[in-house]
Amino acid sequence: MSGLLTPGRTRDPFYRNHLLRDAIGRAIYEAMQRDPSIYLFGEGAEIKQHYDAPQIEKEFPHRVITLPISEDGNLNFAVGASLLGVKTVVDVITADFLYRCMDSICNTAAKLNFVAAEGQPPKTIVIRGEFLIGGPTTGQRPEALFAHIPGLNVVLPSTPKDAYGLMWTALRTPGVTLFFEDRMIRDVQTKVDDLSYHGVQVPVHFGYAGICTYPKRKWLTVVTYGLMRQVVETVLEKNRIEAVVLLDLRTLYPLDLGSILDSLKITKKLLIVEPDIQFGGIGAEIAAQVAEAQPGVKIRRLGGPREVIPASREGQARMLPSEAQILEEIRELI
Amino acid sequence: MNLYKRMVLIRVLEEELQKLCDIGEGADLHFSRGQEAIAVGVCAALRSTDYIVGHHRTIAHAVAKGVPLGPLVAEVLGKPNGVNGGKGGEMHINYPPARFMFSFQLVGTCVPVAAGLAWAVKIYKESDDIVVVFHGDAATANGQWHEGLNIAAVQGLPVLLICENNQLAGNVRPEHYLPPTPNHRIDERARSYGIGASRTDGNRVNNVMDVASITVDRVRTTGRPYLLECMTTRLGKHKQGQGDIRSKEELAELSKRDPLLQEEQRLRISPEVKEQLYIEAREEVRKALEFAVEGEV
Repeated sequence: MSGLLTPGRTRDPFYRNHLLRDAIGRAIYEAMQRDPSIYLFGEGAEIKQHYDAPQIEKEFPHRVITLPISEDGNLNFAVGASLLGVKTVVDVITADFLYRCMDSICNTAAKLNFVAAEGQPPKTIVIRGEFLIGGPTTGQRPEALFAHIPGLNVVLPSTPKDAYGLMWTALRTPGVTLFFEDRMIRDVQTKVDDLSYHGVQVPVHFGYAGICTYPKRKWLTVVTYGLMRQVVETVLEKNRIEAVVLLDLRTLYPLDLGSILDSLKITKKLLIVEPDIQFGGIGAEIAAQVAEAQPGVKIRRLGGPREVIPASREGQARMLPSEAQILEEIRELI
Repeated sequence: MNLYKRMVLIRVLEEELQKLCDIGEGADLHFSRGQEAIAVGVCAALRSTDYIVGHHRTIAHAVAKGVPLGPLVAEVLGKPNGVNGGKGGEMHINYPPARFMFSFQLVGTCVPVAAGLAWAVKIYKESDDIVVVFHGDAATANGQWHEGLNIAAVQGLPVLLICENNQLAGNVRPEHYLPPTPNHRIDERARSYGIGASRTDGNRVNNVMDVASITVDRVRTTGRPYLLECMTTRLGKHKQGQGDIRSKEELAELSKRDPLLQEEQRLRISPEVKEQLYIEAREEVRKALEFAVEGEV
């Protein structure tokens, strides 16, 4: 079951977390039912809904707009549509393609509400991108770059329930939201396929980390997000490690530093596990803020090397922290 | 006469703002001196409900579309009582009540944004208003111009592209940004996207209004994009605080095509009348500047 660490080897390269995908699709579908201003834009948008969210294709065919392979132009196009109050969900398909539209996201969309005329209602744009794995320009994780840009929310759910709740919020929150979908998260390990809490569907608000464990003894705080949540959970379960408070950030911006600091008051030890290049990543920001706010906390980070993702599957396995590395760090800290 | 008055207002406003720039009160503003006829002529051909999208040289378009002068000047000077709260500045002016929806510093961005706006007008609002987007000839070297035009052509959107062809990209001449086709014709580039396009003199304001009226009707009835290339002359610097690549002789030659001069000759405006109009415009600008300065208190 070390599939997460050697994704290509044990897994279909076209693997897709269907529960996560369906949860996002359902959140969008339900929002579209209530809000006639929501439209879906993107390269191959219609065909994508055909496969991913047939209910949307069936009920709202005219609100799914297929655009050319012009990522940058498409995002600016969405900005233009939003000027008249259209809420757009722009799908760039693969997160790597977001580099193509850095200009329209960071220069145009991120400034849109800031420079708006007095009294104008703020605009909503949701930008979707998927994480794959496969090579130098397939499988990059640009989320930390966007967390750096004012005017953007950065969302990265790790369970279907969170994905549903966060998309619910994204479509009702004025502003520009980068919504990432990690295809490498495995269905089998997303324990919750029911999207409700005690039968009630609730939104997940931005800036609230998910608390994944409630140990009696609290010796270590592990902060993670996205794909790494499952890996850490697997490590904890396999090795029957309790006493670890596991926090899933869910939104990189706004960042829930409060929950981290609260937990650290008891544990005094922090391990940050990132499914991303460690250098200049979100873990560095958390580490710095924690060190400033609570001097004396022991901080360790685990992340990927600052290297180009190779096409070879053996090479890809090194790009993310492994279960063994995580276990070693946890044992050392506890 | 109204068109002339409006051009005088823009000219006087920009001159007054330039004085502020010279003493360090304004930023590196971008003026439209010599290009006023396009903004004024095109906006005169529009309904008040039609939308415009601008580039980084916004002041002429904002005045032409009827953005209130006081808040406009305040915004240009970055005051909190500006149309955008002093946050956007001269290059990001937008004022939806006058249907001046968007303007942007980065060259080319305005075209796909205008396409998206036109999509929303046609599909979401189901209205027969059109969107006019102003851009320069240099923007046609940018990918965003092509991507935006392509989407507009594919989707069949009511957007009128007004190319203000001043044969300059900032301080750079066309041989550095346009391929060596005869006369650097932008309308020919546009036609290759399967849309209508034509070229006209952009320095005679009555001509601009007449031609724009025809093209506006065409865009409105067909619901398809159209590009109107307006040949013009920028008589000022690219922006304040920068030199000008052109010689004094060249500028003197260009200023013979000054749109205000041509309109004065066409309407046979006497020096006394002209003086009176300038006094009125200065008074209006003075009031706007006063409004802007009050924002500081």
